[in-house]
Amino acid sequence: MSVVIFFLMRLAPGDIVDILFAAAGYVNESDKQFLMKELGIDKPIWAQYIDWLRGLAVGDFGKSYRYDQSAWEIIRPLIPVTVELAALATIFSIVLGVPAGVLSAVRQDTTLDYVLRLVSLAGLSLPSFWLGMVIILGLVAWFGWIPEMTYISPRENLPGHLVQFLLPAAAVGYRSSALLMRITRSAMLEVLREDYVRTAWAKGQGSRAVVWRHALKNAILPVVTVIGIEFAFLIGGLVVTETVFNLPGVARFLVEAILWRDYPIVQNLVLFIAVVVVLSNLIVDMLYGWLDPRVRYSS
Amino acid sequence: MRVRLPVALLCVAVAAVAAGPALGQAQKGADSDKAMKSVPAKPAAAKATAGSVNAPSAAPHPNGKKGGVLLAMHREDLAQGFSIHETATIATVWPGMPCFNNLVMFDPFKQVESLDSVVPELAERWSWQDNYRNLVLFLRKGVKWHDGTPFTAKDVKYTFDMVRQAPDAQTRLRINPRKDWYANVESIEAADPHTVIFHLKRPQPSLLMMLASGYSPVYPAHVPVNDFRGKCVGTGPYKLKEWKKGEYIEFARNPDYWVPGRPYLDGIRYLIIKERGTRFAALQAGRLDISFPGEATKPIADQLKSSGAKLNFTLIGTNVNDNLIMNIKKPPFDNVKVRRAISLAVDRRAYAKAVHQGGAVAGASMQPKPYGFWGLLEKDLGRLPGYGKPEDNKAQARKILAEAGYGPGKPLQVEMGTRAIALYVDFASFVINELKQVGVEATLKQVETAQWHPLVTRREYQMGANLTGLGIDDPDGNFYENYACGSPRNYTDYCDEQVMKMIETQSQELDLKKRRPLVAQIQNKLEEDAARPIMGWRTDYFPMAPHVKNLVPHHNIYNYGRMQEVWLDK
Repeated sequence: MSVVIFFLMRLAPGDIVDILFAAAGYVNESDKQFLMKELGIDKPIWAQYIDWLRGLAVGDFGKSYRYDQSAWEIIRPLIPVTVELAALATIFSIVLGVPAGVLSAVRQDTTLDYVLRLVSLAGLSLPSFWLGMVIILGLVAWFGWIPEMTYISPRENLPGHLVQFLLPAAAVGYRSSALLMRITRSAMLEVLREDYVRTAWAKGQGSRAVVWRHALKNAILPVVTVIGIEFAFLIGGLVVTETVFNLPGVARFLVEAILWRDYPIVQNLVLFIAVVVVLSNLIVDMLYGWLDPRVRYSS
Repeated sequence: MRVRLPVALLCVAVAAVAAGPALGQAQKGADSDKAMKSVPAKPAAAKATAGSVNAPSAAPHPNGKKGGVLLAMHREDLAQGFSIHETATIATVWPGMPCFNNLVMFDPFKQVESLDSVVPELAERWSWQDNYRNLVLFLRKGVKWHDGTPFTAKDVKYTFDMVRQAPDAQTRLRINPRKDWYANVESIEAADPHTVIFHLKRPQPSLLMMLASGYSPVYPAHVPVNDFRGKCVGTGPYKLKEWKKGEYIEFARNPDYWVPGRPYLDGIRYLIIKERGTRFAALQAGRLDISFPGEATKPIADQLKSSGAKLNFTLIGTNVNDNLIMNIKKPPFDNVKVRRAISLAVDRRAYAKAVHQGGAVAGASMQPKPYGFWGLLEKDLGRLPGYGKPEDNKAQARKILAEAGYGPGKPLQVEMGTRAIALYVDFASFVINELKQVGVEATLKQVETAQWHPLVTRREYQMGANLTGLGIDDPDGNFYENYACGSPRNYTDYCDEQVMKMIETQSQELDLKKRRPLVAQIQNKLEEDAARPIMGWRTDYFPMAPHVKNLVPHHNIYNYGRMQEVWLDK
């Protein structure tokens, strides 16, 4: 993974030195060589790779080319912002998407089903950044108000912090909830036609027990898979939402670092995202076992 | 040889100096005897040619209120920290200026910048000597850097020796975009702790303009230049409080500032908001007090006005132009006729309307009036390629192209390169469409920003849609940088001996009335030769909240960020 991360970045044309000179409007070859040496990017790529790995082994994430500061010091405050936003968006999507999917399946082909399907289709069709921008512009136009433009720490001001995070979480969560709703609906429709559900109905069990205890428990596995994938995706995929709501998160900073060819920042952020993807998949796999005893027994 | 002034003559010069106040300065009209004594002697032949100090156009505001934090818009994080000398972008100058002072500066209350609007800052007065070959600057006493170290002439020498890359400079900038501004400086002498002399190779009155630019702060000699990438030690009205990477840059009032009673504000917070829509929504919602220079285009200003936002708008020039670069070293643009045909084909007025929705004005190589001081008059513009009747110009372009061997059977095929950014692409697309109407087949090549300058520097382009921001509205700051033979920013490699002579002549001309027609002639010649056809000059509508007082946007984005006089009426 580290090889891919390290070398893919360097396939992009140009480097930080080109960009710094671009900001100055000229390029001077001797000054450029001097600067490349100062930043250590004059070395062969394999040597830079070994330097990076060696640093990682001792907890040294390198130094940002752009800020001339430890990469870890820059990355560290970004992580909680993105993780919190992704978690809130995921919670929002579960709270909205799963019950809507269940209702839609139970009331298949009714007006409620059509309305919910329409809402989910809209959620899938509307990009979250567009929705975010509409939310911002709508708030300005109607209330002359938008959330704070600088990050509010929850320790300083919890209500302000929540207001700042709930809107972007809703914008992102709505899209994810639409996906969850559709997955839940199709999984539920399948399960509701199973013999054991029919048996439960025949035994005279209440609809709450049949739907939520028997059917949903069996339909939830693909939903959990999607939740895991969505969460991992959100960690690196909140670029535009973080940009629109001006939240100092990982994704926004990653794009900025890519544009600046700030390799130490990009490498470490991509590595972080890769770790989150692996971890979320691991957690999903563990949840499988907890949700479905057959998985445990078969292994 | 260094020419020094006889004390008696200097007395005359200094006495002639209007002891006008720097902006609210304490040491108004400082003791001229002391100043005289500080200047060393003195070949008898030397003459004091001019001594001048302009007074600022506005006195301290009688109702100026103290306190409050100004919330300022910022579009991107700092690229080189606060090292203004290492960048050529407003993104560094705008939030960097409050930390520093210059030797002289442009009067913050005057929109049009010229030699007449240069006022004292760290130099409380100055004197031109020996027919404008020596600029003597008398430095303010009692000024301290933010870390408490006294400011002296050594700091000035250190700074400008570093920028001009003098052989004996103490340090070196890793990127040095304005070295050429000081190419005419032969040496800098710290005559005593409070007197600095710039010795010039030949007369150059515009040196003061360059020193007044937001790009010319004085750095402390005792702080390593690399440190400015993370911190800021200046003599300016505000001290750096915190730079939260990617989020904000915050300054607090400098309690030891050398101008008593200034600044008014407790601090300034520059909020970095990457998304343009969000930036202006924040301004509209009162999360910001002021815009960012050059950001409020006409469509944005129209939208804000129609929304009923409580904002004041100031229509100003930016001293930023859109221009067409053509690689003169390679065919077909080594042929001046082909270049002229290209220039003729593009209707400049239609360009301003279509690409900028009216938020730009037509003009030649100097910013047009009323925004600029040197721009050509409307009647003169009409005679230049691309400014007259579009049909006539296009017909003439077709004729010239036919003479050069291009026509319907053999169309001129060119590649138009530009940065892959919407506004550049719009610009290039407009030109491509105009060229199509005269039978030129141009294709668009979008280049990622990081690659644009390396590509242009290597001259690996045929034609390009380019943008140029000028630090000062002075011909020297423009012609030497963008049109002089061998200049690194002369991307087209246009080099004309006659033009170079004209540039040298105007640069040395002391009489403004004589210099103006010379500059006009150069502008005409550059447009006739299609050296770098100017498409238009951008304007800005700089919105700010009504409670922001004493912030006067200039017709140049780079020079009004000091914030010393700004106060909030809340």
